[in-house]
Amino acid sequence: MATESTTDFSLDSAAALAADEGGAIEGKSPWLLAWRRLRRNYVALGFLALFVVIVVMCLLAGPYAHHVAGTGPNDNHLGETFTRDGKQVEVVSKGGFTGGTFKAGGIPVGPQLWHAGGKYVFGADTQGRDVAVRLLYGGLNSLKVGIGSALICTLFALVLALIAGYYGGWVDWVIARFFDLIWAFPVLLLAIALGTALSINGFHHFGISIQSGSLWIPTLVISYVLIPYIGRPLRGQILSLREKEFIEAATAQGAGGVRVMFSELLPNIASSVLVFFALIIANNILTEAGLSFLGAGVQPPNPSWGTLIADGQSRIQTAPWLAIIPGIAIVLTVLALNIFGDGLRDALDPRAKVRIEH
Amino acid sequence: MKRRLKLLRPVGAVALLAALALLAAGCGGGGKKSSSGGSNAGSSGKTYPLLRVVWDAPDYMDPALYYTVAAYQLTNYVWTGLMGYKHESGPAGAQLVPYLAASEPTISADGKDYKFTLRKGLKYSDGTAVKASDFRYAIERDFKMDSPGVGFYSDIQGVSGASGFATTKKGHISGIIPDDSAGTIEIKLDNPRGDFLYILALEFSDFVPSGTPASDQSTKPIPATGPYMVQSYTPSRSFTIVRNPHYNNQIPTMPSGNPDKVVGKIITDPVAAYQQVVSGQSDYEFQPVPNDRLPEAQSKYKDQLRIYTNANTYYFALNNAIPPFNNIKARKAVQYALDPNAIISGIYGGLGRPTQNFLPPGYPQYKKINAWSFDLAKAKQLVQQSGTNGQSVDVYGPNEDPSKSTTEYLANQLTKIGYKPKLHLLSHQVYFQTIGNQATKAQAMFTDWYQDYPHPLDWFDVLLNGQRITKTHNNNVGNVKVPAVDKEIDALAKEPQVTPAVNDRWAKVDRDLMVTYATTVPYMNKSSTDFFGPKIDMSCYTFGVVTYWDYGLSCMK
Repeated sequence: MATESTTDFSLDSAAALAADEGGAIEGKSPWLLAWRRLRRNYVALGFLALFVVIVVMCLLAGPYAHHVAGTGPNDNHLGETFTRDGKQVEVVSKGGFTGGTFKAGGIPVGPQLWHAGGKYVFGADTQGRDVAVRLLYGGLNSLKVGIGSALICTLFALVLALIAGYYGGWVDWVIARFFDLIWAFPVLLLAIALGTALSINGFHHFGISIQSGSLWIPTLVISYVLIPYIGRPLRGQILSLREKEFIEAATAQGAGGVRVMFSELLPNIASSVLVFFALIIANNILTEAGLSFLGAGVQPPNPSWGTLIADGQSRIQTAPWLAIIPGIAIVLTVLALNIFGDGLRDALDPRAKVRIEH
Repeated sequence: MKRRLKLLRPVGAVALLAALALLAAGCGGGGKKSSSGGSNAGSSGKTYPLLRVVWDAPDYMDPALYYTVAAYQLTNYVWTGLMGYKHESGPAGAQLVPYLAASEPTISADGKDYKFTLRKGLKYSDGTAVKASDFRYAIERDFKMDSPGVGFYSDIQGVSGASGFATTKKGHISGIIPDDSAGTIEIKLDNPRGDFLYILALEFSDFVPSGTPASDQSTKPIPATGPYMVQSYTPSRSFTIVRNPHYNNQIPTMPSGNPDKVVGKIITDPVAAYQQVVSGQSDYEFQPVPNDRLPEAQSKYKDQLRIYTNANTYYFALNNAIPPFNNIKARKAVQYALDPNAIISGIYGGLGRPTQNFLPPGYPQYKKINAWSFDLAKAKQLVQQSGTNGQSVDVYGPNEDPSKSTTEYLANQLTKIGYKPKLHLLSHQVYFQTIGNQATKAQAMFTDWYQDYPHPLDWFDVLLNGQRITKTHNNNVGNVKVPAVDKEIDALAKEPQVTPAVNDRWAKVDRDLMVTYATTVPYMNKSSTDFFGPKIDMSCYTFGVVTYWDYGLSCMK
């Protein structure tokens, strides 16, 4: 997501830097310059802070569940009551037949905020599970999948791009066609197909065994389908860089392929990689939510923000909080990552046009 | 014998019945209100031009293939067999009456020989005459098409064995002897079956013209013998059912129907289906009112809503053949660990009645069991005593609600009593096939059963007889095998008459399997809803225990 900002992101000139420092001109590393630009972007920093807060809250899911809510993320409380302002309240309303009369039930209790001593702060779901606890555990799972898949995806894309871009020729052709092949499929459809297939029986090939309910499945599926979205632009940058004089110089000095790739090319695309990484986390969290909503991502009873929305959709009229609260969590997280990612891109290289495009 | 579940979601079936009932209401104006929802064989004088319904998707519209309530409820007025059910509300609706047969059959003393005579002058909707040999053709067509109902006919002479028709699919079934000139049909059985007349009332026994292709004819409607015929059917979209022009009240034991025409939209989403009726675009919805909308329907549309509980049982199957549930204490622990009232109230919005019987209420063989109470402490104690504490349990269920939430509830309760459950939620399309395969090694499973016909054999013989366990397509998914009870089921299968003594023996089978051996965990008889538009005259509402809402007997205000 691109954002408009009124902050001045123009490159610092040497004179400006000197004036700013009030002394002699000193050499500054690109990273320091980037940090100087980033720290002036208060919007990006604000959203980074929001993301950090979300991450910290999710990391505190266990202590919150144990010490505040007093229940686990998958513990149902059907048929139970809790105390609110000294009165007993049903977690899920009772219904059924009394004599010949039918009473509709099954309506979970709504958000209690702090009126019930930390229980059901965001209400309960249809199985009487604490939504706030599931929201935090769900966030933890969504973040694990989002960040984990971003790491794996970026790493594979980077290595493939380096190899393709540096060696060129048939190696480049094979890797480029691999990117094209994955690119040819609509991302979500490919992810759904893989996620559904793997979520039934897991993955048990090539000496690797992943059980069907494992978080590794959505993590790896999302990593795989998004590789070309990072790999292709990076490959393009490397193809351009390898023609530069410094590569020629390194080669002339006897540097081997691996050294050129990792000591010469990698530092020159590191800023792009970093920006891609920040942006793809947001993208992956959204993809995970979509997959889980459709039943092809995180598997029940484990929560994720996507599964929480799916669980809540059938109760949108009588218990709208079930879908709305995790929806808000996704929006805030993705917004924070995208705005920070844009800020990071502007800071690292204001001329760059790094985007995650589908 | 291989049978499939009739319907996982009964609501859909109910809606289909409603549509049929409306269709059957036939031509004419608004008509008069009926004084009751009782028997209305023949013309009722309440005909009306059009019934608009929203229906669940039928699996097929071919009597050899369909096996869902959605299809059955629609077409029980279209294709008929020798026997059928009385179109009446309440227990009377479970009574068999001759449809194409002129009268009840003559049955030999040993219960192995049935002789029927067809009614005179029977015709299909295309005007051709109905022949006795059409019945044999229909059964043989079932086998040629690998119909899901072929298992019901395994006791007819010439069907089973290496040279039987089920294997060779050549020649004719020797145990079915039709005489076209006399209009008689003789059926010889290898073994007597107390439920054979019910089997002859199944859709797989419906007459089709000889020469009907032995392939799915859903979109090329087969000529009908009932008061209605399928005019058009577009899978997943729509259907139109109209009066059979050659019917001439040829089956006086069934109503000729009130609606002249039934036009159906196929909508599988219950919320969308509900909205169709609320917005006035439909007179009936087959799907159950979603739990989310039930309070609204109860308060705003109380007069248009009917809640019913038909013959079904929802139960958790525990794999009796492998640990931990090959241990009776472990199985008893699960009985104590579950709170049926909590499941019904929370997950099903109250639409259900708790049960500990396998057989549903309403059967003359039903004797209420009250052996278990929700007691987690006792359940934990039993798990400890069984020595199975801490074992992992593969729990299987469908991935759609409310089945999904019910399975999650089971898994959570197993956690609470000391097991380590692993949840496997699968698509409906593959669910029963998967748990019915021994290779899956499912240990605890969500499942349910809706009767094919109102006889205990359709429950105990199909679902819990240890001699019916198969490697694949296993209906006895819990691998329940209690030899003494199996022997009793086999003996009861041969009882030609349902006497009070026989009923008591069936009740004991129920108690033995559910309590003494605690083989299975029944928890609910699911209730469902029929929801109608404001034009429908609810005084005509008729609900058959087998046929669900009877659209043929519906009428308009």
